[in-house]
Amino acid sequence: MAKIGLYLCECGPNIADAIDLDRVAAEIEKDGKVAGIERHKLFCSADGKKFLAESIKKNGFERFVIAACSPKQHEGTFAEVASDVGLNPQMFQLVNIREQCAWTVPDKEQATGKALRFIRAAVTRVQYHQALEQKEIDCNPDVFVIGGGIAGIEVALRTAHKGRKVFLAEKGELGGMLKERGLLFPAMEPAGDFLGPRIDALRNNPQIELFENCKVKEVLGFFGSFVALLETQEGKEIELKAGSVVLATGAQAFNPKELAEYGYGKLDGVYTADEIEKRGVGKLLTESAKPVKSVAVIHCVGRDKLGYCSKMCCVNSMKIARQIREQSAETEVVELYRDLCLPGKGYDRFYKETEAKGVKFARFESVEVTGGDSGLTVKYKQPGGTGAELAVDMVVLSTGLAANPSNPELADMLSISVDESGFFVEEHAVLNPVSTMTEGVFIAGCARGPGDTRDTIVQASATAGKVLSSLVPGKRLQLETRTSEVSEKLCVGCGTCVTVCAYGATTLDESRHIAVVNEVLCRGCGNCASACPSGAAKHRHFTTRQLNQEVTEILK
Amino acid sequence: MAENNNVLVIGAGLAGIEASLLLSNAGRKVYLVERNSYFGGTVIKSEEVFPNMECATCMIAPKQSQLLEDKNIELLTLTDVTDVQGDVGDFTVKLASRARYVSLVNCIGCGACFEPCPVSVDNEFEEGLMKRKAIFLACAGALPNAPAIDMDCCLRAKGEDCTACKDACMFDAISFEEKDEEKEIKVGAIIVATGYQLGDVSRFPEYGYGKIENVFHAFEFERLRASNGPTEGAIKTRDGREPKSIGLIHCVGRDAGGYCSQVCCMYLTKFACYAFDKVEGVEVHEFFQELSTPGKAGQKFLDEAKEKGVKLVRARGVELSGNGEGVRITYQDGKTGKDTVDVDMVVLAPCIEPNSGADALAKLLGIEPGDFGFFKTTEFDPVATKRAGIFVAGCNEGPKSMQDVVVQAEAAVAAVLNGSKADTAVRRQDPAQD
Ligand SMILES: Cc1cc2nc3c(=O)[nH]c(=O)nc-3n(C[C@H](O)[C@H](O)[C@H](O)COP(=O)(O)OP(=O)(O)OC[C@H]3O[C@@H](n4cnc5c(N)ncnc54)[C@H](O)[C@@H]3O)c2cc1C
Ligand SMILES: Cc1cc2nc3c(=O)[nH]c(=O)nc-3n(C[C@H](O)[C@H](O)[C@H](O)COP(=O)(O)OP(=O)(O)OC[C@H]3O[C@@H](n4cnc5c(N)ncnc54)[C@H](O)[C@@H]3O)c2cc1C
Ligand code: SF4
Ligand code: SF4
Ligand code: SF4
Ligand code: SF4
Ligand code: SF4
Repeated sequence: MAKIGLYLCECGPNIADAIDLDRVAAEIEKDGKVAGIERHKLFCSADGKKFLAESIKKNGFERFVIAACSPKQHEGTFAEVASDVGLNPQMFQLVNIREQCAWTVPDKEQATGKALRFIRAAVTRVQYHQALEQKEIDCNPDVFVIGGGIAGIEVALRTAHKGRKVFLAEKGELGGMLKERGLLFPAMEPAGDFLGPRIDALRNNPQIELFENCKVKEVLGFFGSFVALLETQEGKEIELKAGSVVLATGAQAFNPKELAEYGYGKLDGVYTADEIEKRGVGKLLTESAKPVKSVAVIHCVGRDKLGYCSKMCCVNSMKIARQIREQSAETEVVELYRDLCLPGKGYDRFYKETEAKGVKFARFESVEVTGGDSGLTVKYKQPGGTGAELAVDMVVLSTGLAANPSNPELADMLSISVDESGFFVEEHAVLNPVSTMTEGVFIAGCARGPGDTRDTIVQASATAGKVLSSLVPGKRLQLETRTSEVSEKLCVGCGTCVTVCAYGATTLDESRHIAVVNEVLCRGCGNCASACPSGAAKHRHFTTRQLNQEVTEILK
Repeated sequence: MAENNNVLVIGAGLAGIEASLLLSNAGRKVYLVERNSYFGGTVIKSEEVFPNMECATCMIAPKQSQLLEDKNIELLTLTDVTDVQGDVGDFTVKLASRARYVSLVNCIGCGACFEPCPVSVDNEFEEGLMKRKAIFLACAGALPNAPAIDMDCCLRAKGEDCTACKDACMFDAISFEEKDEEKEIKVGAIIVATGYQLGDVSRFPEYGYGKIENVFHAFEFERLRASNGPTEGAIKTRDGREPKSIGLIHCVGRDAGGYCSQVCCMYLTKFACYAFDKVEGVEVHEFFQELSTPGKAGQKFLDEAKEKGVKLVRARGVELSGNGEGVRITYQDGKTGKDTVDVDMVVLAPCIEPNSGADALAKLLGIEPGDFGFFKTTEFDPVATKRAGIFVAGCNEGPKSMQDVVVQAEAAVAAVLNGSKADTAVRRQDPAQD
């Protein structure tokens, strides 16, 4: 049997006062399972660590147990000591007799009893610990970007440098939703002035390879090593290799056809904001059969159907309204809104400027557009329930942004998910907002939710930050050591582990009818090991044997 | 000349933490400077965070521990930046660290030194809702897990020979001899992540803050709900009663300030959820002007609160007055005119403002304070300032949710890692240059 050392930390008075360490030492010694027991006032201190290292070496311990504080606080500290003295860092067990005993059990007798059980369990468990290897793999720093809107363009420009190539696949032309915009809020600059130089930079960058009019057929592989298959319009297939994948597939303007109350597609003079911009505000005003003397801009079109507020359409409505006023001073413009969504430091001012240009604002609860010989009638209910009516020549429907319909297909390909609206789901909505559950797959721009150009650009840069900091050319990727494996002999190929793995680390090897764990993707959560009905999936540091022995000892 | 790859991050809130961890991951050496004795910023004031009502400390503490263990990151608490010279790739920065009087190496955070300290003052972290000693930890769980002595109120600063805390410490962690220190570092880039503070609501007499007993501001309410706070998570009025009704007031100071603070519609709705979770049968009224819950998660969050029973009232011209122990809310409802509601407590959502000292820092760094004192960035490069090599992230650039703060911090990291090599086309129209 391996030579095991036990170390008892007093943690000043914290443990020493609350637990009878003399008794603990005496009883463990009686058990006869450890080769030596030592105490220290504070093992985590510089002095304590030195003492620990010297003691392990001097006594020739092959494994050790240290009874001290929470692994959250000092597992790393003691793993380092283990490494320093030449032991595999898995060859020890930290028992938390501070938070779980000293600080929570007021009665000293009971606290001591509880600590004894925990320590015995650890002494038993540590005998079954296996040395695990810290593996590293070479990584491919190249980036594969899907979608050539502003999000994709920015990711490409911000990641393509010496030592790193970027492949960008766009199903149509570059530019996304911005290519058909006139002016961009809030700066009110022509979208082309903004987009043009960026597309030029993209085309002129030797590190960027563009694949326009291409379909993404398949993406296989994992973080550090993805392989993508593209198909050109002519049916030619292209294979690409990259270390990370960025989904920048954007969104689309909501189509209000299905909402009867707006008369869209039926009534002349009812346009969506998107359409107005595509045709050009000025053109519409001058080319319509009769002069446009009055316009109603209706907010929140599709908001209830979509289930969320799209954030950009309030400001976009104002952008259109003020352009109308600027181009035709005699045209009355009324904005019918529900709530004004003007978040952040710039938009209240934009609203005030719009008002100053003579745009009127009125709140509505519900609205209906009908047509007649003399023009359009907008009937709406005001807050409080009273009805009101506007006779106008033109109606602009300010629609929100709907998710890109091709998202679910891509999500499937990359083992990530889309939410009920069809946007890609983040790894963590707050802490990891541009990462996904598949390591190395990132999301940026309207592919992850509605937003304006500025939002899109920050997210694209964030994605670049994640890519640049995780896949450094020449640096090898360190893998998780405490992972799971599937025994070829025991696995019946039922696929249970594949369903429970949140990281897409388990797959079925069809030819051998067994499940396999990809060590690069496995984060060692243990889901597969606990779900596997045949005991084939096993966590390397939480084996059934280790757990069984540990728990049995505690319950004795 | 070779570029210096080290990075200075100023401010150790969520933005500073995220940026530092990513930079370290890319192999960069990071100096993370924080003026408080603890780090984590404002997030650690919250018990739970929208939109998923997750436990805030459970989210942040692992990141903090990771940072404390990270050998590439040097966290300097109680430290201010006093001078910045040089240029992108080669900045020389002077730092001034105030003495903690407690050794971060020896102290284990046992707290034995608090009790004997004879001094008692308001705990700023708890918004004055409870007291602390001259030797103190901002709150239970604050990191680094070691107290600091506040020499502004320690008896020794008044010439007395008190050694009560030192006598109580079993680990020889306290040293009154510790001196303030200055040091000079060299870095190639700087990320400014100095965050925000809440606007002073006593400026607006109509809300009666400071006069009407049971009017609170948002951070006070966060601390009331916090399980490590003054009431251990029990929502109570200042006189210790459990409120039967609560009024939440939106947009406090928005008109005067001239901008929407972006997160208060969401966090007030979170407060409604807090109240329903903690106080059985409580009535919650939200008085709002415009409801701003943008993005894919906002509406759902609001709908959930509505289901729990929050009453949403569109209101203008809100005025508060004392009403016995409670508060009377008078407002214009836009339909029938003036109306009133009586409640046991009121919570105000003040504007999010740039942190104190932001102006001076901007001057020192040679970057521009922009609208409302938030740092100015180029229009379509939302982390770049007018000075090459200095980037901003988090709420000092404008009010934001945690999600947006993390996104911007990661974006700032990209800018640093790109260095001066950032593409040139993107700089074409650059409003911050004018
Ligand atoms: C009417 C309207 C007006 C607007 N006005 C403004 C404004 O004034 N100011 C402002 O800041 N913002 C404005 N916006 C918002 C702005 O357009 C978006 O924020 C921005 O375009 C989002 O960029 P993106 O790259 O995320 O998405 P997109 O622009 O949608 O680009 C996505 C790209 O991905 C491609 N793609 C999709 N699926 C695939 C696939 N499977 N494979 C390959 N490629 C794919 C698409 O073809 C597209 O080119 C407006 C939006 C609309 C609808
Ligand atoms: C009441 C309330 C509730 C909220 N709830 C939520 C929520 O539920 N969900 C959500 O997503 N968002 C919420 N938010 C928003 C959230 O708090 C912010 O997005 C986030 O905390 C901002 O992080 P930050 O790092 O930018 O700033 P901060 O947290 O302010 O951190 C800045 C740090 O910089 C330090 N510092 C400042 N100046 C200097 C200087 N000169 N030198 C050195 N250091 C300095 C500060 O001490 C601080 O530690 C809420 C906000 C409020 C007001
Ligand atoms: S941004 Fe404005 S118009 Fe668009 S959905 Fe939100 S509230 Fe409605
Ligand atoms: S341990 Fe977790 S991450 Fe690893 S394969 Fe099993 S389920 Fe997936
Ligand atoms: S010296 Fe005395 S007053 Fe000062 S912190 Fe210590 S106990 Fe408190
Ligand atoms: S200074 Fe000493 S007594 Fe105070 S918390 Fe630290 S170790 Fe404990
Ligand atoms: S977020 Fe809501 S409460 Fe805050 S200022 Fe904006 S509209 Fe008002």
